Amino acid sequence: MSNTQRPAERRLLWLLLSFAFAFGVWEVAGRWPISVAFPTFSQTLLAMVRMVADGSLPRAYLSTAQPLIIGFIICGVIGVGFGIWMGLSRAVEWFSLPIFVILQAAPMAAVIPLVTYIYGIGLTSKVLAVVALAAPVIVMNSYKGIRNTNPSLIQMCRAFLGTRTQVVVKIILPHAAAMIFTGLRLGLAMGFIGVVIAELLITPTGIGDLITYHSSVADFAEMFAAVVSIILIAAVTIHALERLERRLFPPEVRGS
Amino acid sequence: MRIKTMVAVTVALLACMFIGLPAGEAQTRTKIRYALGDVITTDDLQLLIAVERAKTRGVDVEVTAFKSEELATQAVINGQVDVGQGTPYAAIQKVSIPIRFFYQLYALQFFPIVNKEFYKSWKDLDGQEIAVHARGSGTEAIMNLVAKEQGIKYKSISYVPGSEVRALGLLRGTIKATILDVTNKNHVMKEAPDKFLILPLGQVKASDEALFATKDFLEKNHAAVTILVEELLKVSREINANPKFVAEERKRLGLLKDLPAKLEEDITPYFQEAVRNGIIPNDGGAERAAKDDLEFFRLSGHLKGENLKVEDFWHLPPLKAGLAKLGN
Repeated sequence: MSNTQRPAERRLLWLLLSFAFAFGVWEVAGRWPISVAFPTFSQTLLAMVRMVADGSLPRAYLSTAQPLIIGFIICGVIGVGFGIWMGLSRAVEWFSLPIFVILQAAPMAAVIPLVTYIYGIGLTSKVLAVVALAAPVIVMNSYKGIRNTNPSLIQMCRAFLGTRTQVVVKIILPHAAAMIFTGLRLGLAMGFIGVVIAELLITPTGIGDLITYHSSVADFAEMFAAVVSIILIAAVTIHALERLERRLFPPEVRGS
Repeated sequence: MRIKTMVAVTVALLACMFIGLPAGEAQTRTKIRYALGDVITTDDLQLLIAVERAKTRGVDVEVTAFKSEELATQAVINGQVDVGQGTPYAAIQKVSIPIRFFYQLYALQFFPIVNKEFYKSWKDLDGQEIAVHARGSGTEAIMNLVAKEQGIKYKSISYVPGSEVRALGLLRGTIKATILDVTNKNHVMKEAPDKFLILPLGQVKASDEALFATKDFLEKNHAAVTILVEELLKVSREINANPKFVAEERKRLGLLKDLPAKLEEDITPYFQEAVRNGIIPNDGGAERAAKDDLEFFRLSGHLKGENLKVEDFWHLPPLKAGLAKLGN
């Protein structure tokens, strides 16, 4: 066993210990119980296994994934594009910056039900809910990424008689890429929040349906399993993106 | 001296009466925290009138409106409120602490309604899509029971919470077959009288709104609960004798003061229809309602197991006491 492996192993050990501790506390709290509606960790885990086995959890995710993916693609393409445009054009920035600042601050859980008045209760409303939560952070990060480009690099490019297109393509965009990617990662996290809010507040489908239904029939272990599963999936996805981000844009690239 | 003493004693007694009595009464007042599973509307006037009357008998019922019946049930389970309103039979069967129903406020009154252009009878709904309130809801249970009776099978059931939302869907044409409460059924039929058809509903007898609490609370607060039950019984009987009573009593007691004029007009027709359909029991439901509920919720799949016992779901002593006092 080499010395370089030890810190990694130790980290893994601490990680596992922290999980064991958290789940242990959960188990004790459930057995105590802090509430008759609070299941133990083991009951929740068993419920999750049952829901995977009977297909209800995978089916729910197929349904939940639709608005999430569509919404995220819209934000990824149009949101990033718009953010870049905002960064490059003072007129667009003047016109749209306040809108996104307001959208970032707005309590979306209160706004989302209003979407149904215009777009009904179908997929469109849910996609809009995802977009409403994810777009501001994606647009703002893209915009800031462009705006924060080191001015001396732009001056250098111009000094070498670089055209405007060359300044954008060769200097600004590569420089902003890391921040745009961070925006996408944070946007996806917001998208998860958006889709669950939509499924709980608009019409119960997918994971929102599992949470609502199991709560209504007092299957608390199943309800917690549904909640925990979405937290797990969101956390794992976001963490994977974070690792990818670190690989694609190591600190030395970010700092350039 | 004797006169002076007598005056002093009289003054002292009077002082006791004025100071002591209210204090004594305050000690006997009981507070019941009551959870509604929806916003307070004109449908709840029956309850609100009974609550006002119970107040004069020393029982303060504090009504809180929750966002959904599930939340109201949760609040009862966790002891944050004392009495809940709804029909959470499935929850009651599953939670470890004993919760019991003790009064049926009104029975189910729903109307399966279809777009005439597409469907004319129950048989036409075979293999078609329908919309109900939510998975595991009473509306789904009714539609599934009728499907069983009629030997049909829906293609799919979509869940659209809120009768008003489904009514809007019908009017816009996005929903072709659904089930509505009386207010929204009337609204839809008024907006487009020739476009929709109400399908006949056989004998579906079950509670729509029933009162429940923990068994422990019901036993410890028997007197206060009995007072609330008595007042509910009296109000129900007055409504059944004269449906106009609700609107008159609302004005007299100053209930729901901010009600828009349009909704105010709907109060009497709503209660007239409720009386016509016999959904407000004069006897608080009692064992008959309990048995009907157990049958309905078992057939609809909410309750599991055979030989379900009334005493495992209902606590009848307060209702029996109320009926003994007021007569059946």
